[in-house]
Amino acid sequence: MKYEVFFPHHKIMIGLLLMAGLSSSCKRLIEIPPNPATAVTEAQQFSDSATAMTAVAGCFSYQSNGGGSFTFNDGNLARNTGMSSDELIYTYTGDPAGLQFYANNLNAFNGSVSGMWASPYIGLYPVNATINGIAASSGLSASFKKATIAELKVVRALYYFYMINIFGGVPYVSSTDYQATSRLARSPVDTVYARILSDLTDAQQALPEEYPSEGRFLPNRNVASAFLSKVYLYRQEWQKAYDAANTVISSGEYILEPDLNNVFLEGSQEAIWQLPATGSYSVTSEAQSFVPQSSGTVPTYIFTSLLKDAFESGDQRLDKWAMATTVNIGGVDQVFYSPYKYKNVYPGATVEDYMIFRLGEVYLIRAEAAAHLGNTGEALDDLNQVRLRAGVSASTASTEDDLLAAIMHERQTELFTEWGSRWLDLKRTGTIDAVLGAEKPGWDAHDALYPIPNAQLNLNGLLKQNPGYQ
Amino acid sequence: MHFKDFYKSRGFHSGLLTKTLRVVKLTAIIILVACLQVSAKGYSQTVTLSRTHVSLVTVFEEIQKQTGYNFLYTYEDLDRIGPVDVDLQKVPLTEAMDRCLHNKALTYSIVERTVVIKRKEPVSAPEPPVEIAPLPLLDIRGRVVDSIGNPLAGASVTIKGTNKGTKTNARGEFDMKDVRMGTVLVISYTGFNNTELRLAAGIEMYIVSMQRSQDILDATVIQAYGTTSRRFNVGSISTVDAATIEKQPVTNVLLALSGQAPGLAVNSINGVPGSRVLIQIRGQNTILSNVNGFSPYDQPLFIVDGVPFSPQNNNISQLGGLYSVQVYGGGINSNGGLNPFNNINPADIETISILKDADATSIYGTQGSNGVILITTKKGKAGKANFNLTANTGVNTATRQLKLLNREQFLQLRKDAFAADGRTPGNDPNNYDNYAPDLTIFDQNKSTDWQKLIYGKSSSNTDIHASLSGGNGNNTFLISGGYTRSNYNYPGSSFADQRFTIHSAIHHGSQDGKLSIDFGSDYGYDQNNSPGFGGGQKILLPPNTPDLLDSAGNLLWNYKGVDLTGYQFYAYQKMPTLLQNYNLNQSLRIAYHFLPGLTLSANLGYNRNTSTEKSQVPAAAQSPAYVQRQASFANNNFQTINIEPQIDYSIAIGKGQLTALAGATYKKNTNNSNQTSGYGYANDLFLGSINGAASVNNFDASDLYKYSAGFARLKYIYDQKYIISFTGRRDGSSNFGPGHQFGNFASAGAGWIFSEEKPFKAALPFISYGKLSGSYGTSGSDGIASYKYQSFWTPVGYIPPFLGTQPAVPDNLYNPNYSWALKKSLNLALDLGFFHDRLLLNANYYRNREGNQLGGYPLPIQAGFSSVLGNLPATLQNSGWEFSITSNNIKTSDLTWTTNFNISFNRNKLLSFPNLESSSYKSRYVVGKPISIVYGYLYKGVNPDNGLMEYYKGDGKTVTTNPDYRYATEGGDQVPIANREVKYMGGFGNNISYRHFSLYVFFQFSSQTAPNYMVTVYNSSFPGQSIKNSPVEVLDHWRHPGDHTTFGKLTTDPNSEAYISESNFGNSSGGYSDDTYLRLKTLSLSYSLPQNWLKKMHMQDLRIYANAQNLLTFTNYKVGDPEQFNDYTALPLQRTVAFGLSFNF
Repeated sequence: MKYEVFFPHHKIMIGLLLMAGLSSSCKRLIEIPPNPATAVTEAQQFSDSATAMTAVAGCFSYQSNGGGSFTFNDGNLARNTGMSSDELIYTYTGDPAGLQFYANNLNAFNGSVSGMWASPYIGLYPVNATINGIAASSGLSASFKKATIAELKVVRALYYFYMINIFGGVPYVSSTDYQATSRLARSPVDTVYARILSDLTDAQQALPEEYPSEGRFLPNRNVASAFLSKVYLYRQEWQKAYDAANTVISSGEYILEPDLNNVFLEGSQEAIWQLPATGSYSVTSEAQSFVPQSSGTVPTYIFTSLLKDAFESGDQRLDKWAMATTVNIGGVDQVFYSPYKYKNVYPGATVEDYMIFRLGEVYLIRAEAAAHLGNTGEALDDLNQVRLRAGVSASTASTEDDLLAAIMHERQTELFTEWGSRWLDLKRTGTIDAVLGAEKPGWDAHDALYPIPNAQLNLNGLLKQNPGYQ
Repeated sequence: MHFKDFYKSRGFHSGLLTKTLRVVKLTAIIILVACLQVSAKGYSQTVTLSRTHVSLVTVFEEIQKQTGYNFLYTYEDLDRIGPVDVDLQKVPLTEAMDRCLHNKALTYSIVERTVVIKRKEPVSAPEPPVEIAPLPLLDIRGRVVDSIGNPLAGASVTIKGTNKGTKTNARGEFDMKDVRMGTVLVISYTGFNNTELRLAAGIEMYIVSMQRSQDILDATVIQAYGTTSRRFNVGSISTVDAATIEKQPVTNVLLALSGQAPGLAVNSINGVPGSRVLIQIRGQNTILSNVNGFSPYDQPLFIVDGVPFSPQNNNISQLGGLYSVQVYGGGINSNGGLNPFNNINPADIETISILKDADATSIYGTQGSNGVILITTKKGKAGKANFNLTANTGVNTATRQLKLLNREQFLQLRKDAFAADGRTPGNDPNNYDNYAPDLTIFDQNKSTDWQKLIYGKSSSNTDIHASLSGGNGNNTFLISGGYTRSNYNYPGSSFADQRFTIHSAIHHGSQDGKLSIDFGSDYGYDQNNSPGFGGGQKILLPPNTPDLLDSAGNLLWNYKGVDLTGYQFYAYQKMPTLLQNYNLNQSLRIAYHFLPGLTLSANLGYNRNTSTEKSQVPAAAQSPAYVQRQASFANNNFQTINIEPQIDYSIAIGKGQLTALAGATYKKNTNNSNQTSGYGYANDLFLGSINGAASVNNFDASDLYKYSAGFARLKYIYDQKYIISFTGRRDGSSNFGPGHQFGNFASAGAGWIFSEEKPFKAALPFISYGKLSGSYGTSGSDGIASYKYQSFWTPVGYIPPFLGTQPAVPDNLYNPNYSWALKKSLNLALDLGFFHDRLLLNANYYRNREGNQLGGYPLPIQAGFSSVLGNLPATLQNSGWEFSITSNNIKTSDLTWTTNFNISFNRNKLLSFPNLESSSYKSRYVVGKPISIVYGYLYKGVNPDNGLMEYYKGDGKTVTTNPDYRYATEGGDQVPIANREVKYMGGFGNNISYRHFSLYVFFQFSSQTAPNYMVTVYNSSFPGQSIKNSPVEVLDHWRHPGDHTTFGKLTTDPNSEAYISESNFGNSSGGYSDDTYLRLKTLSLSYSLPQNWLKKMHMQDLRIYANAQNLLTFTNYKVGDPEQFNDYTALPLQRTVAFGLSFNF
């Protein structure tokens, strides 16, 4: 064969030119599109309102799917604080980390605690990035900026509110500059509260009266007010708590759902702020953890006798918000109760949304604030609104102390396994050592704060551990 | 026709053979081909043979075997002679022939490497005196080629007995004028056997085909972009050949590398067929960032037939399977998964080269920073078509099973634990402290050996491989196909890994030797059927676990009110997962030798690795209380396009040979994956499709990487003694941001074959080979994901829209400034050959330093992400020694015995780390210490007085049962307690063949400090406290004051002192033990049928064999497999014994 035909003379030159050409075009050879198919740059993300809204949507719903802990609808906050306090018994015998909550002997290596520390911060990064990105964008209108930033400030406040109530002071992160934020030490609880209040008061002024969208998912002014009433209650600023709660109740937007079965559904008239459940099955993690997996067996989480006995006879909440399972043990039928506020383990005929604030709690906040302010009549009225809806007789408490005790009792039965309400109530009222010390053999005062995860202490030398966790 | 061409090309005078040819033709073809087949074996220059009353055929066969000389005769001629007696002791061939044919009616002549036997002309009358006329003078031309027709440039052609001669040009051609007919020319070329050529008249062009020398020093070593020999190589390259691979009954070729090459660490994640095998060369060069339990693990670049393997050695599965949840608890954190190399048939592999130092790897630049593994598949061989079939079937059993507590022991342990706390086991969950369903509700007389049920079964492997190869010198081909089925050592008969492969290789060389084309194509299909996820931990179910299946095989979820969800082992089995992996690898190399010494070539490669996965959760796998049918579908595509044009130039300068190579690389990698999960199916029958899902979640990802480089290599070998080589490279990577994309890297190597120096030869004659070589060079690393130098936002497809808008989230923290990590490698090597290279010794010292470390810098999670990509000014050093010995202990006609041994020692050290104290690595690493050090508490032991586990406090003196987890430097009790680096590792193999038997015994060994079984005992099944089984070793627990025990006091109370003291154990020095083992990795015995039997069956070769893997283990490591430290519940490695046969037509 004659290959000469294909390779005329002066081939060397051609070869060398080819090589030279290749090396000079190196830069072009490694050019790739400016952004991957699955992503856009930060500037593109905030270039117009429709795209910016996807970031806002991420802030509201991504964390609810995060799979970590302490997220909008992951059940860890309810489960873990329920076990740490006097609400739940954990009957599964194969999970030492879960057992630590029940036994009040957490350590800094507990994986569930690590998640409760990490996921709020993972959730806060997009919130801060979106607030900053929207603020810096030139393609967004002033009204859009004002509204969305206010909505996100409520979200940010929510994260920090639960962070400080679980761990005590935490690093307050409001930027995305990791060089700075990775070196922050824990801020004192008061400092973080000041930031929370500042975000919420900003939001209260900026947010519209009406919900900005269908449903009660994006916060309106009442959400900020309801949240403020809760924060003021925790800060024992009774008048402010009263006023904020009063704004919400007197807005007339909400009524206590007459049927307890409707409270946690989408469209609940009691809901002040809800989020869609966006887990893998679009159901709440609470339902997935609390509703027994097999019929006729002892549920994994059962009410302590203390919680069970807290329900007065005829209390509808024990019928409708708890599931009773009868199991024959050793020839004796025993009834076990487990939380059943959220019922859908898999999508059902009705849609359940994740409840963050509802009117029932706001009534109890106003009642408690009013009692502290000496306004016992109004306190009793508010308390009885909640009691009558539950089908129990009106309270007759008359003194401030009796009223406060009745309100605490009502919070226990009304708000059980919601957002760690019981655990936080015991702490803010300073009764935790007395109550749990009597109930839990392993109780020690330092157990009221969860430990800072060991790995985080190692990664940031400025973090200091809570006392009692060596 | 081929036959004639063949003889012509060998320079036979046609007249010489005319007569013989006429007679023998077909017979001769068969014999010759047979001769060629055996010519690959070892030869001797002399003949040793002692037989009585044997046929001459047998004698010649034996001589042929020993010398490699081919014989040409007719049976007719030989049959007339009858049996003979021979007694030859180390005599040269000519003498042997003379003695064999003494007084026989036969004569012989040796033409090149063929002994031609013919009848003596009958001596009827005294021959008339013949005038001896001088033979004519000839002008001759010839071409010297290797066995597949590649020209050999620079071969010397001399007239026998003189110094007169010439050398071949770049096309392998030579010419000589005025040479007398009948003159014998000797052609020599390093690495090939000398070949003699007797000149005859009338031959236009002699084609001299040279056979590779059998000297191991001259065996081909595949290097970057070419080949070299051990003799002249200055880089550090280890080779594992087909013979070693085929003796190991493994389905994944990476497993066959274990212990075979010094400096190469091979870690199997678990024993599931197809599961991942991690490979590392000369230690970890990247600082382990250990973010969220994930650490990067440096792995070499894998190249198959010149094509970078697109998935490299990464996991290819996205959905869960038996392979994915078996967590490996060692220093290498990995999510497990399936290994793409499972889709390459080991039987198609010719050789694997492991490139280790700068000289060998720097031409790959960035890509080769952590070493390179070159896998070269089998090519066709010239000659008559050869058909080979190999089939075997094997039996797998689990290695090193545990001894777990039996029912009585388990129940007693639980009772004792309650008693130790003064508690009485009860059946009331309200009284949680005493709740013990296993003691009060479960049947106390039921007994299941869960380990036996899960791992105790033996399973089988089947492997069939067939190949056909052939061609002539210019064109060769090979095509092969294989099927492999490996079953799981696990309940459920449908779970298996099956592989179908087709391999082909075509070589074409033009008649004038200028053009050569090599095309190779591999296609593999791998199908892995697996249960939904593993459940290895379920071997720890209590022995009296209630029945989990009813008589019809349905799952049970309730036993007397106890929820069996946590116990339900069989649910996984009803969740089928199927992974189908398709691998296409195509390589094309075109070379054109268009001027003397100058070759222009191009390597073009394409690899695509595609996986599709399906997994189902049908109703039958779920508790009937709540049924949510689910099906997931995933696809994963890796693709690499690789283009490498090259110019090669070779020229003789003075007494030396200069070779230069310049080339460029363009590479594009793409990886696309997607995953769709559907929920809410109405019926199990719909689960095969996404269409029946009520709701759907989606996820997809893509990664794009482009790489280009220009490179050059210059190598000069002077006087067969001095070698220098240089490589340089400019790399560009799309993984870096603007301004940081290019890096320059270079290396230099030198070698001195001092044994060629005359004074040395005189002084130390027993040293037949001695070489000192060294190299130093730099390479970069860009081993990170693309686009991370910018901040990106990603829409999230796997959660539902929020208010009609699909959410988007930030993708990463970004750092616009990171660039190449820089690795500086030094390698020094000494090669020695003793006693004519029968004993070869290689020693290497290396020192690699990787600075400007590139990787995820861990951040506290308060920053929003757990790490950010960046360069770290730290420098990490790996240095070490590697030794390997190859010895031909015995080499006689009947018995050969060779031994291989290698051992390597790698030491890791953090050389510098500016600002370590203010970094997040503070207290994790110490400058001057290896990065494999582990912090924890120094364990003292169980206090015999109270049964509590005790630890030393940070001061090293006082003792505590509840140590402070802060580092000692910060006032706590954590101190360095162990160094987990591998102290030494290696392998030791013996190949013995006696007549028709061949035996291979290979041991692999390794030594390190590793987590021991007690960690798993306390971390996953706190003995007595949880309803989980434990190894029988826990019976050695504290009971009474004065007891000296391994395990502490039993307890069920998480607040007890005993519990707290024991919960610290996993983080203490007590949890680390010496893990040294010697494993009989491979034992292979084969028997080849004798030639005369084969002849009757018209076969060239028939071999029956038994191969065994992981047969025996000698170790001080207690409980579990020493290769799978830290988690004795992982699916154990398999012990495989395979029986098979292989034959060639």
